[in-house]
Amino acid sequence: MFYVIGLGLCDEKDITIRGLEAIKGSSRVYLEAYTSILMVPKERLEAFYGKELILADRDMVETESDEILRRAATEDVSLLVVGDPFGATTHTDIILRARAQGIPTRVIHNASIMNAVGACGLQLYSFGQTVSLVFFTESWRPDSFYDRVRENAELGMHTLVLLDIKVKEQSEENLVRGRKIYEPPRYMSIPTAVSQLLEVEESRKAGILAPDTTLAIAVSRIGGGEGNERIVAGTLAQLCDAPRETFGEPLHSLVIVGKRLHHLEAAYTASYAIDGTKWKEIAQNVYGCNFD
Amino acid sequence: MVNFTVDQIRALMDKPTNIRNMSVIAHVDHGKSTLTDSLVSKAGIIAAAKAGDMRFTDTREDEKERGITIKSTAISMYFEVDKEELSAIKQQTDGNEFLINLIDSPGHVDFSSEVTAALRVTDGALVVVDCVEGVCVQTETVLRQSLGERIKPVVIINKVDRALLELQVSKEDLYQSFSRTIESVNVIISTYLDAALGDVQVYPEKGTVAFGSGLHGWAFTLRQFAARYGKKFGVDREKMMGKLWGDNFFNPATRKWSTKSTDADGKPLERAFNMFVLDPIFKIFECTMNFQKEKLFSMIEKLDVKLTSDERDLEGKALLKVVMRKFLPAGDSLLEMIVINLPSPRTAQRYRVETLYEGPLDDESAIGIRDCDPKAPLVCYISKMVPTSDKGRFYAFGRIFSGTIRSGPKIRIQGPNYQPGKKEDLFVKSVQRTVLMMGRYVEPIEDCPAGNIVGLVGIDQFLLKTGTLTTSETAHNMKVMKFSVSPVVQVAVEVKNAADLPKLVEGLKRLSKSDPCVLAWIADTGEHIVAGAGELHLEICLKDLQEDHAGVPLKISDPVVGYRETVKAESSIVALSKSQNKHNRLYTKAMPLAEELTQAIENGKINPRDDFKVRARVLADEYGWDVTDARKIWCFGPDTTGPNLLVDVTKGVQYLNEIKDSCVAAFQWATKEGVCAEEIMRGVRVNVLDVTLHTDAIHRGGGQIIPTMRRSTYAACMLADPSLQEPVYLVEIQCPENAIGGIYSCLNKRRGQVFSEEQRPGTPMFTVKAYLPVMESFGFNGDLRQATGGQAFPQSVFDHWELMNGSPLEKGSKLEELVKSIRTRKGLKPDIPPLDSFYDKL
Repeated sequence: MFYVIGLGLCDEKDITIRGLEAIKGSSRVYLEAYTSILMVPKERLEAFYGKELILADRDMVETESDEILRRAATEDVSLLVVGDPFGATTHTDIILRARAQGIPTRVIHNASIMNAVGACGLQLYSFGQTVSLVFFTESWRPDSFYDRVRENAELGMHTLVLLDIKVKEQSEENLVRGRKIYEPPRYMSIPTAVSQLLEVEESRKAGILAPDTTLAIAVSRIGGGEGNERIVAGTLAQLCDAPRETFGEPLHSLVIVGKRLHHLEAAYTASYAIDGTKWKEIAQNVYGCNFD
Repeated sequence: MVNFTVDQIRALMDKPTNIRNMSVIAHVDHGKSTLTDSLVSKAGIIAAAKAGDMRFTDTREDEKERGITIKSTAISMYFEVDKEELSAIKQQTDGNEFLINLIDSPGHVDFSSEVTAALRVTDGALVVVDCVEGVCVQTETVLRQSLGERIKPVVIINKVDRALLELQVSKEDLYQSFSRTIESVNVIISTYLDAALGDVQVYPEKGTVAFGSGLHGWAFTLRQFAARYGKKFGVDREKMMGKLWGDNFFNPATRKWSTKSTDADGKPLERAFNMFVLDPIFKIFECTMNFQKEKLFSMIEKLDVKLTSDERDLEGKALLKVVMRKFLPAGDSLLEMIVINLPSPRTAQRYRVETLYEGPLDDESAIGIRDCDPKAPLVCYISKMVPTSDKGRFYAFGRIFSGTIRSGPKIRIQGPNYQPGKKEDLFVKSVQRTVLMMGRYVEPIEDCPAGNIVGLVGIDQFLLKTGTLTTSETAHNMKVMKFSVSPVVQVAVEVKNAADLPKLVEGLKRLSKSDPCVLAWIADTGEHIVAGAGELHLEICLKDLQEDHAGVPLKISDPVVGYRETVKAESSIVALSKSQNKHNRLYTKAMPLAEELTQAIENGKINPRDDFKVRARVLADEYGWDVTDARKIWCFGPDTTGPNLLVDVTKGVQYLNEIKDSCVAAFQWATKEGVCAEEIMRGVRVNVLDVTLHTDAIHRGGGQIIPTMRRSTYAACMLADPSLQEPVYLVEIQCPENAIGGIYSCLNKRRGQVFSEEQRPGTPMFTVKAYLPVMESFGFNGDLRQATGGQAFPQSVFDHWELMNGSPLEKGSKLEELVKSIRTRKGLKPDIPPLDSFYDKL
């Protein structure tokens, strides 16, 4: 059996009991660690699960699937995925390959940012398409996400923006030369993300990301528990100017609030606002929420 | 001694109308350096008596030993023109003092890149042609190069003494020979003419052709003779010059001019050139060589030539040399020809700016260049690096086109890959010292204004080989030089003692700096590769590396040749490659580019910096492209300028522009290391037909697209009948008739093909021209010398890439064997990877 097991969001203890049982019965356990990361090191996972973990980087999952699937037809092999296996990053390709080899597969679900984002007080029902925001480079500044955000905005829906993380990425030069030299890991911060959003707004000018009247919520280390998880709400301009410490360590995500903001949502999120009065004022005047 | 001071020169530098920047160019052994001596001696830098033997501009030991020039050498000279002559100068001037910056360049084809570097910083060229050998292959190459750079030529027909002493020709034969040579020069000029230069053909009657002997130190143009005879006949000098050339005859009986070669009674008349110009020269030769000293002395007295008593005691050739040099001093007539006929920087930069500057022609830098304005922002082009006495350091040698350079203020040093507005390949540093290049010496100067050639100290470590210096933040680069030779011959070098490795690495860096053309890099196998234009060039470079730059003993491999990979047909099916995460698919096809287009790209006629609409028009009109396709060329490759094109022919694909960069990067990589043997690709067009992409940018970043595009390009090439091209030399061999048999047998053994064999009129010499694969050329010179008893002198110049027969994909074919040997050498698996390692099934 080939298991794909969601690990949840925070640390070793987020795993489901079903997942833990599958790990304990597996002869090999791989940890996929390029699309997202847990907030604890691998060693803590190993200690808790009582199993040695094999780190599977992007290259391995994408090009050496045969190695991962070796003998999976006769014994149990697990691939651990941070979040949910079908969450932000889908692992359909490796499951397809397993099926093609006649290997039985099973997926064990867990929480993902895609649902845990509800923590910020916005209803999951009102979220539109999720987009990811990549680090802009000198010449590569993809802005097609803007169209997705706009489509959401037109329907009044919230947009979950996933921020780029670069773990074990090659620089373009090394990629071109085919050298496996990796850059130090980088995580996009909220101010960087907001400034990239504003830059694209500047060039596309559809008026959906006005710095002073668009509300947004920065969620950091969701699922991290008391004192760790942090939610900060404010206008884009406020988030952009906030000092880095406001958001703390990675990982971060951002929600752009849609116009169909319910007054309950507005009231709940106001408690996270940098400037509560301003938040309510904009919710009332721009988003048309009625607090009475 | 030196008849001028640095202060005088410095003062002249401020008068761009009175500067002449010129190169001396010619075929090997036609006498450039020897002739340059006469000019240098005129300036008093070397004693007149030594001129002709000294080769002042050959500064290196090996140059003196071999008697050939290897590096171009610059020297600045001061020259005063006779006030009477000033009226002949048809451009703005200021006073009768002139600064002449002369660059002596090598004639051997292997060092053509030195010529290119010299031409870039000059505005005029003195083309030296051997009167016996006539126009040769390298004469044509250097002329073509100079016209391409918009450089105006004047010609000297050299070694006239040989014609007189060795060949003993008649006056009329000599005239005919001169006139044929000039004719062939003019044919070349009109072939490569750039309309912006106007008529630059050379005419003796206009004073743009000189005749002389560098070895003996004499030369003349018709201007000198016209001055003598003009007064006598009471004819205007310009008119007199016209009479002294061509079909103009003088009848001494009637004292009338005629254009017919016979008089009224049918008696033959002597050509004016023969009668007035050649006759006195012939007589001086005759008298001197036949020891008729009295006759000689009375004759030269009439010619106003005065000898000292010591000189009167000389005999034979030594006497001849003194007399001729006093009669027709080469320095005066040549410098006069240069000053009168070659353009000043102020004149030349007006029409050169558009071929020199990459940016818009109305920005401050372009205007500064156009006007040669010392007060405009600085724009200076560094064309080469000259070693200093301080080991490992270099003078940056170049030309100031605008503004003034001085030590102190920070300037921008823009390398060839600099793009305006970006920070790559850019340094902001200050120059430590500015110097005047004086052949073997340098003279420090405080600053240097526009229009001059200068050496700069202290910026060598920020420049690879060439670059643009400027003070304007908006300045674009000066255009990079196009070399007529390319580094096609390579060797691998390694140190004999492992501990010397760091010295080798440092030495290779220095070597690469010191030569405009040589390339040095580390191959994937870890070998250090040095590539040069030819066997001789490589030999010199390696000698420098071993003895000078690295200074450690080296092991040098047998030379190998760089090949090019290409395709012969359109891909038989569409090549599909999927990205690692399987979310993205790229569909491409490869096809050959027309050879003419490939060459146009290599010559820079079609280049990535052209406006895409203009380029599309040219591609459509001249190369039969579809205009829509032509407008959607994504890039050239490799190095963004190479002769392979990536074209977007997709229809309505979303997000396509977001993966363009990744595709371009991959294409650069793929074209640099082709699919068969990881050799550079040439003449391949790759069409991107269709693309399916993940909606989210994070799943289609460079990490996913670059390797996929590379694989897709490889797959497309493998499906398009891939093949190899090999470099082929054009060999020109001068020899007497009896050596021809030896030449043929020598060439036949080496897959050479003779395509022309001509006798040079009026001489017993034959010129044989043949194509010879570079691969077969190693040791050719030695073999030929043996086969012909040392009578044949070959000159090999890279000519073209020749498609090789067969297919590398065919098992057991010769081409497959070759590919295997290249792959093994590079440390790759010997077999070409199978198609399915690049091609994914749906």
